[in-house]
Amino acid sequence: MKKMLGIALPLIVICVLSGAVLALVHEVTEPRIKEVEAAKINASLSYAFPGGEFAPMDGYYVVTVGGEEAGYAFIAEGKGFESVIRTMVGMKKDGTIERIYVISQRETPGLGTRIAEPEFTAQFTGYRLEELRLRREGGVIDGITGATISSRAMTESIRETGLEVLNESVY
Amino acid sequence: MSRYTELTKGIFKCNPLFYLVLGLCPTLAVSTRVDNALGMSLGVLFVLIGSNTLVSLVRRWIPAEVRIPCFIVVTASLVTVVDLLMQGYAPDLYARLGIYVPLIVVNCIILGRVEAFASKKPVLDSLLDAVGMGTGFMLGITAIAICRELLGGGQLVLLGLTIVPAFTKSPALVMVLAPGAFLTLGTIMALSNYRKLRRG
Repeated sequence: MKKMLGIALPLIVICVLSGAVLALVHEVTEPRIKEVEAAKINASLSYAFPGGEFAPMDGYYVVTVGGEEAGYAFIAEGKGFESVIRTMVGMKKDGTIERIYVISQRETPGLGTRIAEPEFTAQFTGYRLEELRLRREGGVIDGITGATISSRAMTESIRETGLEVLNESVY
Repeated sequence: MSRYTELTKGIFKCNPLFYLVLGLCPTLAVSTRVDNALGMSLGVLFVLIGSNTLVSLVRRWIPAEVRIPCFIVVTASLVTVVDLLMQGYAPDLYARLGIYVPLIVVNCIILGRVEAFASKKPVLDSLLDAVGMGTGFMLGITAIAICRELLGGGQLVLLGLTIVPAFTKSPALVMVLAPGAFLTLGTIMALSNYRKLRRG
């Protein structure tokens, strides 16, 4: 019994101390982390729909420009090659894309990660939702060589989520 | 061994990557870009210094039977601290390194040095050992990353500064993928062993 305590006690003390330190660091960094997250969403919103004001709705944002309803912004999530690709999409009322911005993705470095680069994302601007498919599937988007899965996942998620948002906003 | 060699052994003679062959998992994963490699190795350096010093401080009170769980708790806590701080104060770095940070905990260099060194040696020696090993890891992973970014990305960008501008439109993509990591690591290891053999 005494030997068991001698073994267990130091481990317990170390665990309790570590727990206390972690709780303290968490307490200090939590507001800061929330801030960073919120800033990221805000930055992506104003990129996706420049000059707009955003009112959060159930799952998307209604964008007003100069007091008039101009369109919507929403986050599209698609399962890519090795991660979930989250894209902020700005969309006009008629379903044409304003701009898109990749919020987070962890695709293959050097290949799939290129979906976040302006060269790829700028292609979406000005097209209607229904047209958003890869070129090899009869659409208008040039996929990235060596990263077809990532390109397709992102394109599909934007089209599908966008159509849902359009449907919902009608009611 | 003198204090000085405790510090320098990790950098060349017993380099954790090319000689001890420890910590390969994060090395293979993160060495695609020099920026990522530096960020990762700074994290490892911090955790290594922290865990080596802490464990060395309390080494007399840790019973041999439960030493590994104790080391793991200390290391995992330090890693979580790094993770939270990075998330809050260096979000750009976190966006790129996020998934690799928890990998620090399974970096065998850390548990390896704690178990083989810090749990038996005084605090100052352990600190020097950690600095040396951490620096050795940094040099190793950065060397690999330079090769891979140059060959696989066709350019070299460090902290936003272009060191080598894009020199080709079709870089060797395989170097950015997993096989490229093995090829680079193997080649550097072979060269360093060859040099050692030549010198006898």
